[in-house]
Amino acid sequence: MTALGSLSVELTLEIKQEILAILDEILSLRGRAAGFNERTPLLGAIPELDSMAVVALITTLEERFGFSVEDDEIDGATFATVGSMIEFVKGKLAA
Amino acid sequence: MIQREAFFLLADTGRRFCLYYPPQVPEEKGAVLYIHPFAEEMNKSRRMAALQSCALAAAGYGVLQIDLNGCGDSSGDFGDASWDSWVEDVVNACDWLRERSSAPLWLWGLRAGCLLAVNAAVNLKNRPNFLFWQPALAGKPLLQQFLRLKLAAELIENEDKQGAKALRQQLARGESIELAGYRLSPQMTRGLEEADLQILPHAGRIEWLEISPHAEPTLAPASIKRLEQWQAAGVPVSGQVVSGPSFWQTSEIEEVPALIQVTLDVLVRPPAS
Repeated sequence: MTALGSLSVELTLEIKQEILAILDEILSLRGRAAGFNERTPLLGAIPELDSMAVVALITTLEERFGFSVEDDEIDGATFATVGSMIEFVKGKLAA
Repeated sequence: MIQREAFFLLADTGRRFCLYYPPQVPEEKGAVLYIHPFAEEMNKSRRMAALQSCALAAAGYGVLQIDLNGCGDSSGDFGDASWDSWVEDVVNACDWLRERSSAPLWLWGLRAGCLLAVNAAVNLKNRPNFLFWQPALAGKPLLQQFLRLKLAAELIENEDKQGAKALRQQLARGESIELAGYRLSPQMTRGLEEADLQILPHAGRIEWLEISPHAEPTLAPASIKRLEQWQAAGVPVSGQVVSGPSFWQTSEIEEVPALIQVTLDVLVRPPAS
């Protein structure tokens, strides 16, 4: 149980790093994403996150994590915070 | 400052805006046609295309950029353009280069532009070389990505989720769709959806370049697979990856200087025997 717990912590951290790197790249944040945490609000809070950027984010998540996303799997809550994006990716990877 | 010539190339359905960067050395090393990517990606990539064109011209290449039917400063409406009319534009632009120069021809595509290059090559008299920047392996995912703009807009506006389903139904009925300021005809979406990055047996050299944001970048697994298939079939292709942002989709206009340098390096390099 402990081993599984720590593995999942590591995986979460890895996913978080990758998501922050993707956000920084796609939204041209110039390193600002390094200061984000799980509670950092995204959709509606970051002006750069327009519809083109949302599409670029979904596509980049698919490419980097190697899964494909159907329309009905995502809603506004998916991109609400950094934490909700991490949870979404974890769910996709576990599926 | 590299000199440029702006002109309109006549087509059956209007005129296409072109920019020509003449080679800056007496002996031309190659004639290069730049084929831009799809919809908004074209605008995001303008700067990188201009920087690369200048660098190539300085290194002795003549570079032609064409705004395809209904794009940029060309005549026609994006919504009336078909995939086939774009392929025709590419062939016409190649003919223009051929009349002007006998140097080796390079079709330089970015993303969807690579698919157009491959489609157009079938109709060329001489076999061209290909320079691919972040090639789309097929048009289908590109169309899916574009249709996703609908869903993204709904998420942002907090509207009921309709997604791409209604748009696909409209296309199936033979109607045009409108999305993010672009009207798309069924003739465009059909052609895009059928496009596939398959190389003809008589292709010249192929240089495949990708961009990855990682400090130690690697080619995408799907690209490695395609490259290996071609190499096994005897196609003279080599792939390389550089570090940098995906400039065709970033919020701000980004530059990838490493890509410009690597592009020069691979073009001047003698073909592997």
